[in-house]
Parts: sequence; C-alpha cells; structure tokens
Amino acid sequence: MKKRPLPGWLVFAASLVVTFALGLLASSIMERRAEALQVNTPLAAIKPFESRNSAWGDAYPRQYGTLRDTRDMSFTPPVVGAHGLDALGENPRQVILWAGYAFAKDYNHPRGHAYAVEDVRNTLRTGAPMKLGEGPQPASCWVCKSPDVPRLMNELGIDEFYKRKWSDLGGEVTNHIGCADCHDPKTMKLSITRPHLAIGYKAATGRDISTASHQEMRTLACAQCHVEYYFDKTAVPGGQVVTLPWKHGFTVEAAEKYYDEAGFTDFVNPISKAPIIKAQHPDYELWQMGIHGQRGVSCADCHMPYTTDGSQKFSSHHVQSPLADPGKSCQVCHRQNAGELLRNVTERQTKIADMLARIEQQLVHAHFEAKAAWDAGATGDEMKPVLQLIRQSQWRWDFVAASHGASFHAPLECARILDDGLARAGEARLALARILARHGQLDPVALPDLSTKEKAQSHLGLDIASERAAKAEFIRTVVPQWLRQARENGTLDENAL
Amino acid sequence: MPSEQTPRPAGDGRRLPRIRVPRYLAAALGMLAGLGAYVVHISNAFSYLSDDPAACVNCHIMGSYYASHAHSSHKGAATCNDCHVPHTGVFAKYAFKARDGLYHASVFTLRGEPQAMMIKEAGANVVQANCVRCHGRLNEIVAPGAPVTLAGKLHGEGHLCWDCHRDVPHGTVRSISSAPDAIVPYPESAMPAWLRAARGESPSPLPR
Repeated sequence: MKKRPLPGWLVFAASLVVTFALGLLASSIMERRAEALQVNTPLAAIKPFESRNSAWGDAYPRQYGTLRDTRDMSFTPPVVGAHGLDALGENPRQVILWAGYAFAKDYNHPRGHAYAVEDVRNTLRTGAPMKLGEGPQPASCWVCKSPDVPRLMNELGIDEFYKRKWSDLGGEVTNHIGCADCHDPKTMKLSITRPHLAIGYKAATGRDISTASHQEMRTLACAQCHVEYYFDKTAVPGGQVVTLPWKHGFTVEAAEKYYDEAGFTDFVNPISKAPIIKAQHPDYELWQMGIHGQRGVSCADCHMPYTTDGSQKFSSHHVQSPLADPGKSCQVCHRQNAGELLRNVTERQTKIADMLARIEQQLVHAHFEAKAAWDAGATGDEMKPVLQLIRQSQWRWDFVAASHGASFHAPLECARILDDGLARAGEARLALARILARHGQLDPVALPDLSTKEKAQSHLGLDIASERAAKAEFIRTVVPQWLRQARENGTLDENAL
Repeated sequence: MPSEQTPRPAGDGRRLPRIRVPRYLAAALGMLAGLGAYVVHISNAFSYLSDDPAACVNCHIMGSYYASHAHSSHKGAATCNDCHVPHTGVFAKYAFKARDGLYHASVFTLRGEPQAMMIKEAGANVVQANCVRCHGRLNEIVAPGAPVTLAGKLHGEGHLCWDCHRDVPHGTVRSISSAPDAIVPYPESAMPAWLRAARGESPSPLPR
C-alpha cells in the first residue's frame, strides 16, 4: 500500500462521500418522522387590541410569515390586475366616467395587504394634508386599512372615530391589515372587528353575525372590507360613517334602491351633470351569486388555502389570487390539470373584461352627448330621465368593474348586470339623440382625444403635476412625523419596517 | 513464551472466509454497512415488501389519504396496493412499487410535495386496470370493449371509473393537509421500546 497510495485515498474519499450522504438521508428521515409529531402551540401571549402584527407573529410564526409574504407582488393574474400599475393609465376612459371624483386623479391596481397603509398614504385621492384636520378625506378612509382601527374605535368610541379627519389619525394608524383585524387575541377565533358589517349583516339577513358558523366566518372576516359601502353623513352629526347598503338585499338593484331611497349620490359628473354612485368592491355580494359561493366555498378556502409546514397544517395568510398556485386551492377539489383550470378562469374573466370595455365606450359617449345636449339648450326636465339612465348604467358597470374577482366568482351575474347596464346606456344615447335633434343638432357628437390618462385629465382641467408635488412634500415631511408619533405611542411595529 | 497457537485445519466451518481486505477498508465498509442498516431501520424499509397500508404512512404526508381510505367502502376490500400497484405478476408489482416508491421518497426528502397530489399517467392506468380487475362483472355491462387508459380517455376513447365515481375512495376534497389530525399509524419511535422504558418514557410517542 505504501507504494500505491492513490487507491487507498480514493477508497477513503468514496466512503467519506457515501457515509456523508447516508448520514444526511438518515437525518432527513428522522426529521421528517419527528415533524409528524409536532404540536402547534402558541409561543407568546398577546395583549387585547394589539395592533402590531409582529407581536402576534411571535406566537404564530407561520401565519405571520405568510402575512409578510403579501409584500410579494411577483405574480400578476393574467386578466385581472397588473400589480402596482396605474389602472387609469391602462384605461383612460375611467377618467371620464369618474370626472368630478377623486378616482379620476389616481387609481391603481390592487396590491397585497402589506401595502394597505402605504398605498392609502401615497394615493392622490387622500390629498396632502400638512396639518391635523386638513385634507379632503375623513377618518373613514382608514377603516379598512389597519388593525389600529379597532384599537382606536375602542379608545375613542365609534362615533368619535368617525368625526375625525383622515389626517387626524395618521400618527395612530401605521400597521397594515393584519392579525387583530380578524382574530380574537385570546382564542384566535375569527372575529368581526368592524361595526358596519355586523349592522349590515343583521339588516340583510335578520341574523346576528355572532351566530355565524366557522365556515361562514372564513368569508365574513373578509367581508368586513370586501363589500360595497358608502359614507353616511346623516347617522352621526359631523361624522362620516361607513355603512353597507344591504337593507334590501345583496344585488346590484337592491343597493341601488337603497341609495335612491336615501337620495344618495357620490358625485355629479361635471361633463354630463349625471348624479353618480361610485361602487366600492362588492366582492362578498357577487361571490354569493356564483357557484363557489352557492356551494359554501369560503374566501379563505381559495385565497388562504390550507398548507403545511412539515406536517403542521395552517392557513396561508399570503392572501392573493389563487391562480398563483392552483395546486394549493383549485386542485384540492378539481382534479383537472393546472393549465386547464387556469384557462377556464381566464376565459370567463376575458369575456367579462370585453363586456366592461364595451359598456365603458357607450358611457363615455353618453357623458359627452349629454354635455352637447346641455350646450344645445336642453332643459332640466328633458335631461332628468337621461341622467337617471346614465347613473343606472354606470352604477352597473362600476359594480362589476370594482369587484376585481367577480368576473370569475360570478361570471353569469356579472354578464347579467353588464347586459342591463349596456341596455340602459343605449336607451340614454337614443334619448340624447332625440334631444339633440330637437335642439337642432343632427351630427354625431365628437369625443375629445382620450387616448392617454394625461390627455383625459387635462381635458377635465385637473392639475395632476402640482398634486403630485404636494403629495411628495407630504410624504417627505408629514409621514415621518406620523411615524415618530406612533413610535412614541408604542404602536409602531419596529420589527415590520 | 512459546506460542500456544496451532493452525486450524482448512475448511473449518467456524472460521470466517479468508478475503484479503486491508483493515482500514474493512472498517470503512463496516461503517457504511452499519449506517446503511440504520437507514433501513429508521426508514422501515422492510415494511415496503408488505401490502399493509401502514407502510404508506411511513411518510406522514400520506396520512390524510390513509385516513380517507380507512373510512371508505374500500377499507375492508382493498389495500393501497390492491389499487395502486399492478397485479399482472410479482415482478411487475415490485418493479412498479420500487420505481414509484423511489420517486415518492425522493420528492418527500427534498420537500417537493405539492398540497394536492395528482396521480400521474402510469399510476392512473394501474388504478383503472385494478378497478376492472375487481369489478369485472360490472364492467362487462357498463364498460365493454378495450380497456381504458388515461391517454385513451384524453383522446375521447371512454372514461376512467373515477371520472364519475369522483369520491372513491379518498373523498372529493383531497390535499395533504385535509385531515391533519386523523389517527393514523405513523411509524413508532426509532428508539427500541426497552430503551424508551429505561429512560422512563412511554413506549410510543404517539397517542394510540
């Protein structure tokens, strides 16, 4: 052997490698066996109204870790939503439909729950309040953004909360949507922390929401925010109370009836002078009208699918489009391959998206034809029924457009709503043609150049550049003050920054 | 001191065969063999020769599939192997088992398992053949003609049994986390019972 050392070293090296690999395999087998026996026990206690998500994360690291994953915007659903992108820039017709309302200034595709506070600070819709009490929006705009809201409603009282301005509470609301929005800190049971849902649910169903089953709660926890709502200015003097228009039911017609009875209008479109209702993501309502909702499949079943870490089962808190991983949600029940399932979803969504584009086109024409009619000398009596038709048509368009997932959740209901909306836009345009003819105008009404968001906005006389500059100044100077205040209060989540 | 040793006669049965192996190599091979035997022990490798469904829950991700089978109409009639390996001969059976098993073990070791496991083509064809194997009389009436395969089905040539019998036997909602707390015979502790007892521990770490 001394003469030929090489084979000896080769044997040594080979047995070293094989032993090492076998050892790894053995420890992997032991680890996989041991993890079957692990028990899920909370690792820390949580204070009542704890709004810092990382404090809950100490006790429930898997759930918290996946909640943090909502920062990950790398997946873009093929039809609905191009994350982080400017939705108005993609579709400038919306600038015309929302003319006279803050949505015409700035409207983005949705991002994950982790961006909730950041995005509402950054949008032009909330303005640039440099001092407490300034700015266009009430505190109601915070209601769906943060677990600081139930804490504040508890501290201030609900009515008092609603009397504040958005800018009053900037130093209080710093934690993005998270644990305390949906969970009881002691038992971890799903809980309702927003009063408007409990009130609206009772009005719509006659049931006390505390009687809801766990499976119902796996949807109702989401319905705290993913619903159609408006700010009722009559309930609390000086306050704007988030209210759900559910007294007559969950359909688009039921909500419209509620708003008509209340004489409610979000804004008057300055082009046509039509009194418009802006729809706000009626996801819970439309989900009920699709087959998944009707079969009792909850939001969490698909958007927070059960997953495993080792052998530990938990709900993924990475709330996102199920299309990011059909294997976790769709295929648990549907045995088709992932590509086929994806095609089934995108086909439905594409068809509804086409219908939305058609009705938008009709509505843009109707707004400008109404303007031409006013300019030609039409009277209020002549215009009233037409403006009502435009309101009804646009309400139907917006109800579907604002609920991003509805084109999959309830494609038939979406098609029914859009069909009705398209017919009303057609009726409005027919009536407008008659009015215009009566006032001597027979030529088609030309549209201005609306090919880009900037052209559409400058047609409305919006000065977006100076609003952007003011917003930048606000973010540079006011937001750090808010964060400092939260740090002094002990409500800032240092671990989440 | 005079040597007491006397050469033993050649061919003495008590004597180990004389193979010329350097001692260090023997030691290395011995370590390998020992570690190999340990891996065989902790992986319950011999259980895979049996038809006992408990062998399949050596990997805990099979727990919910074991549980759904154990509550199905097939529990008393068919084991995992009755459906999931071919029964066309002993060689075919173990060859399929070995190939499938090695694939499963590799995916499990590398933590590559999906939440909802989907049967692959070879497995689908085996299960379909086994449906017909037991339910042959029924199939003379409802599914006469050439046997259906997954490829055939995808070309519109007939249907697989579970295209209609979707819940047989694992239920309609299936994922590795669908029944996490089902009582399933996961492997016993790798430590021998006498050693656990000597340390004052219960003989098995699992509730029975």
